[in-house]
Amino acid sequence: MNRYLTFSLLAILTGFGLAGCYPAGPDYTEDLDVVYTTFDDEFDFQGRGTYAMPDKIVTDVQITNSGDTIYEYMKPVYADQILARIDANMSALGWNKVDINAVPDVLLMPGAISSTTYFYSYWYGWWYGGYYGGWGWYYPPSYTVSSYTTGSLIMTISDPNIDSPINKSATAWIGVGNGLLTSSGNVSRALESVDQAFQQSPYLKTN
Amino acid sequence: MNKLLYIFFAVLMCSVTMAKAQSNTYMTYSMGFGMGDLGDFISKASFRGAAIDYRKMIQPNIGVGFNLGWNVFYEEKSYDTYEYKNQALSGKQYRYSNNIPMMINADYYLNPGEKVSTFFGLGTGVAYTRRNTDMNLYTLEQEGWNFSLAPEIGLQFNNNISSATTIMLKYYYGFKAGDFDAAQSYLALNVGFVFRQP
Repeated sequence: MNRYLTFSLLAILTGFGLAGCYPAGPDYTEDLDVVYTTFDDEFDFQGRGTYAMPDKIVTDVQITNSGDTIYEYMKPVYADQILARIDANMSALGWNKVDINAVPDVLLMPGAISSTTYFYSYWYGWWYGGYYGGWGWYYPPSYTVSSYTTGSLIMTISDPNIDSPINKSATAWIGVGNGLLTSSGNVSRALESVDQAFQQSPYLKTN
Repeated sequence: MNKLLYIFFAVLMCSVTMAKAQSNTYMTYSMGFGMGDLGDFISKASFRGAAIDYRKMIQPNIGVGFNLGWNVFYEEKSYDTYEYKNQALSGKQYRYSNNIPMMINADYYLNPGEKVSTFFGLGTGVAYTRRNTDMNLYTLEQEGWNFSLAPEIGLQFNNNISSATTIMLKYYYGFKAGDFDAAQSYLALNVGFVFRQP
């Protein structure tokens, strides 16, 4: 009998041991940051050299009941740093920034969006037996709600001079930095994602 | 699923029909060393694993039974850029591979009555493999039920009539199946206790 008891205990301990040492994964928020880039492989980046870029970063667009479009912008204290970092990277790749009225070869459009995902669950407490006997449950049920918010910084490059039947330019390059948002008010992770997006896009280098 | 049922019944039949025979039950801690495609995916050795082996002695030097194991491979890759055609994705990857072999085994014991007994044998069955590549908030999950072969060799140190300790080396080779386009193979070094039924 003792042998089987020892055997069972060992099996249980092994189970707990395995569950306890299961690999945990990421430790810090920035461990989840990713940067994605893609480009149109028929677009001639080398043959172009000037770009224009807005001095604001759109974070949301609202269309009112009257049909007006209202843009929401990132606060300048953050946006200016990001725009300056984009300029620095473009300059390092040989591009010259010009005014939008100077007919630039390409437009670089930055944007930022956030998305919140909610988890929602509830359950009933229940009892069996006791003073009243039989089955029953407590009311109301318990609720739990949790959420996470991710943010993306999106940069696109397109040539506004290419004629198109729908008056829209196809995107020649997209760079996206994505990660979990925190309330730190620190844009260093966004700046790093800008650097990384250009670093992994060497084909943007112009003559 | 049918394969699993066959294995289950075969193991059950072995247990029932030979309940009176001498048997060895191995409970072992298992270390894994990925090879081939698994080794390319996760180069680090696994120190998370366990296995249960059971052998009924149908002859003094021949044991048949089953092997059930679990090896968890894990590697945190450093920040890197992964390119595919005209796309590039940078970030940290967390790679996992859960390997659960379920085998029917036959072993030959060279010197069963002695203090140290050497044995070797072969297992065949299936291995469930689940591979996860975590990046950002997403995971790429690949699964497969790999038909597997597992040659093994080991030493059994007989402490007394009812207990022993063991060290064994198994080479699991799971043929490509499911989401995997290459075989999943690894070496497992198992050490542990043996409960002997005289």
